[in-house]
Amino acid sequence: MEIYKADVIIVGGGGAGLRAAIAVAEANPALKIALVSKVYPMRSHTVAAEGGSAGVKKASDSLDYHFNDTVHGGDWLCEQDVVEYFVARCTEELTQLEHWGCPWSRTEDGHVNVRAFGGMKIERTWFAADKTGFHMLHTLFQTSIKYPSIKRFDEHFCVDLIVEDNRIAGVVAIEIASGEFTLVEGRAAVIATGGAGRVFRENTNGGVVTGDGMALAYRHGVPLRDMEFVQYHPTCMPGTGLLFTEACRGEGGFLLNKDGYRYLQDYGLGPAEPTPRNKAMELGPRDRLSQAFWYEQQKGRTIEGPHGSVVHLDLRHLGEEKLRERLPQIYELAEQFLGVDPALAPIPVRPAVHYTMGGILVDGRCASPLAGLYAAGECSSVGIHGANRLGSNSLSELLVFGRVAGEEAARFASSVAPAAPASVLAQAQAVEQRVLGIRQNTRGNERIATLRKEMAQTMEDGCGIYRLAETMQKTCDKLDELKERFKNVRVEDKSSVWNTDWLLAIELEYQLDVAQAMAYSAINRRESRGAHQRLDGFEQRDDVNFLKHTQAHYVAGGAPRIDYGPVKITKSQPGTRAYGAAGEKAEQERKASHG
Amino acid sequence: MNKRRPYVRPMDGWWRKNPYFVEYMIHEATALFVAAYAAVLLIGLLRLAQGEAAWTAWLATLQGGWAILFHLLALVAISYHTYTWFKIMPRTMPPVIVGGKKLAGWVITAGGLAAAAAASLALLALVWGMAR
Amino acid sequence: MAEQPKTIEIEVLRYHPEKDKTPHTQVFEVPFTDDMSVLQGVQYIKDYLDGSLSFRWSCRMAICGSCGMMINGIPSLSCQTFLRDYYPARVRVEALAHFPIERDLVIGMEGFIEKLESIQPYIIPKEPRTPAQGEYLQTPEQLAKYEQFSSCINCLLCYAACPQFGLNPGFIGPAATALLHRYNVDSRDGAQAERMELINSEEGVFNCTAVGYCSEVCPKHVDPANAVNQNKTNSAADYFLRFLSPKGGAK
Repeated sequence: MEIYKADVIIVGGGGAGLRAAIAVAEANPALKIALVSKVYPMRSHTVAAEGGSAGVKKASDSLDYHFNDTVHGGDWLCEQDVVEYFVARCTEELTQLEHWGCPWSRTEDGHVNVRAFGGMKIERTWFAADKTGFHMLHTLFQTSIKYPSIKRFDEHFCVDLIVEDNRIAGVVAIEIASGEFTLVEGRAAVIATGGAGRVFRENTNGGVVTGDGMALAYRHGVPLRDMEFVQYHPTCMPGTGLLFTEACRGEGGFLLNKDGYRYLQDYGLGPAEPTPRNKAMELGPRDRLSQAFWYEQQKGRTIEGPHGSVVHLDLRHLGEEKLRERLPQIYELAEQFLGVDPALAPIPVRPAVHYTMGGILVDGRCASPLAGLYAAGECSSVGIHGANRLGSNSLSELLVFGRVAGEEAARFASSVAPAAPASVLAQAQAVEQRVLGIRQNTRGNERIATLRKEMAQTMEDGCGIYRLAETMQKTCDKLDELKERFKNVRVEDKSSVWNTDWLLAIELEYQLDVAQAMAYSAINRRESRGAHQRLDGFEQRDDVNFLKHTQAHYVAGGAPRIDYGPVKITKSQPGTRAYGAAGEKAEQERKASHG
Repeated sequence: MNKRRPYVRPMDGWWRKNPYFVEYMIHEATALFVAAYAAVLLIGLLRLAQGEAAWTAWLATLQGGWAILFHLLALVAISYHTYTWFKIMPRTMPPVIVGGKKLAGWVITAGGLAAAAAASLALLALVWGMAR
Repeated sequence: MAEQPKTIEIEVLRYHPEKDKTPHTQVFEVPFTDDMSVLQGVQYIKDYLDGSLSFRWSCRMAICGSCGMMINGIPSLSCQTFLRDYYPARVRVEALAHFPIERDLVIGMEGFIEKLESIQPYIIPKEPRTPAQGEYLQTPEQLAKYEQFSSCINCLLCYAACPQFGLNPGFIGPAATALLHRYNVDSRDGAQAERMELINSEEGVFNCTAVGYCSEVCPKHVDPANAVNQNKTNSAADYFLRFLSPKGGAK
């Protein structure tokens, strides 16, 4: 087995991982950084983020506004001290990215431009046309090349963490090109592997978004927090789930039902004005918009298409010129994938799974309960998204907390001695044997794709936009069954070089762990909050019993153990979460009562 | 043991594998006609310098069947070369900004072709006028 | 009577370094619907017909740059190439041309990554600034000068379209040059002179013979041929200016 001795290991080469790597390199150039990623960094799913990244910019905006939007949007399940830190750091990080070359869209006078986004009171979403994630990722990746202390392990698939004396000591990875194992030793590690949306059937996520890092930490005893909160994005392509950015609505797009009616006004989001005002109608938060779709579908007011019910995303009134300038990628996606010219016809859309609000439990400094292990980005639950993330907060999150994780990991690595190498190697060899065992398994005949599809279907059935105890229970049972059947999974390909069949099997095992954490967390939360909505007697938010974080603990060979942690409230007491005219009224009342 | 063994595909006959490459090769080949015609003109110059007899003999040669055939071939080849040359031109030059907007490639190509046609016609008219 | 489900034949160039001396083709029969991409066809093969087929893919929406393949001989992103455009004829799928095949549809791309790393693909500021000083001002016109070249997704279709790269794998090639140019013409950057050496070198822009196919196949309208050819002019100017200035060229 190859051995590489690093100081800080970063698993995941997306936005958060790259930002963390740069932070380590800048904090202490003497530290050796190993950046382990299962794909070349620029393939990471940050690339597909479209609309933009939030940071207070306008004179009329304030950190308090951003804080309140985020906490209200998260239905008060946010760690408010962490949100305060977050909103205070977004703009600096976005400016840093500007200095590194990110091609932010500009105003005529050369300043960075901002656009409106769902659930945000003031325009504060920095954007690079509708390819913001792409430009952020490539800027970070290309900037990371500047730092000689970052050693990349591209296309290295991380299969386990090595924990020695209750702290992190390294990771084991497969070099995909050869199928050989590498032990990367290090005194601190940052997990930045992104979300787990691929456990659902219809999703906006890339094939790589399989929750690997979550499962790695989870199996080593780190709880996964708030995993029941899975975001459905309201405007996705039927069938494939591909994303039509919220910026479509930020630029003024409408959502219409089969009668051409802007149905959101029926769901407490009105009034319907020709230009949607912020935090109203089409600029409401994603959970509410996806839920409104579900009701329209129940009422038979959606349009039936070959891939299920759809509503219309109408951009026609924006005109071709503006669409080409502001939403060029959306324009091409609609034309090429759907044969729809958005300047001439509305785009059929439906909700699809988009984002995992929960993740690896970390504190406000990105530290997990396992010493030396940090996490940042979608794989983590640092506590800013609560029960529903606001669009454009996640790109800022990966900058702000990628940096924090990197700096904290650098500090930790400098403060401790390396673990005993012999013991670390012995552990790594045991991991190698276990993982080779998956490839060599000849017991069973279960197809990887069959198990994966059954998992994705049952997650959609049980953990969709609206949830019932009965169907969630079925999902839990089905996942238990699939984990059992996984023992008989058959990897057809027994070879070494570029064996993606083997990698898919390993990923599937990760996915089943994460899916279980989601389903069991969901069935145990007997209330409705944010993206977790129930229709079986728990339709209301229950702050008495459930203003707390779910924590799912891994149990080998069984269902996860669920317990709860406190929610940090600093300056925003839980209140009514209202949007549109009702939201404005509620805000005035709040202001009046505070004097 | 590392089992990687990347396979490098041969490049033999690469230009036949794609119509675009065939067009490129024809474009490159037609450049030979440009060169050949330059040589013809140079020889003409040389003949002129050698005196009236040499010049007249050269003119007579040009009126032969083979020479006319060559000229026709050269006309076709050079026309094709001109066309493909202007077709690629937008890709080879810095952006042309007109009224704050980048000029589209086809405009540059069309402009080049129009200029080439105009220059050819002007030359033809000039020679025509001199010959009368 | 129920309609017979439609199928389409996909012919794949297979190569397994642990078994094969040379690549060979294999034909698969795949169920066809008219909204299926070639990538979805290939995924079907992997899921249900032959789990050993290897290929890269991720985003499915033409932005991650993973899934480039030769489709009927044309460098294409398989996620945005649709089977309906070939049906009922057979579709031929092969690893991107001009790159070594690691296995099946997977190419070796270390060479490209080295090139990318060699061009100093980051801002080397003309006037350094701290975040506290706020952003650099950059007008939409200044942004427009480089934006197109910053849109490269590194899918490498342009290299598969460049016979000069095929003949000389050392050539820095279209995408890397486009990125180099992207930083050179960014109003915040001041390191054009530092990047000139590479442009002028044996591996530099004069390998390009203006075939132009790279820009034809680019799925993101980057027009890398334009970046390469503009830098021929820059390189020539640099060469002649060297005689005029004691410090040389663009420095």
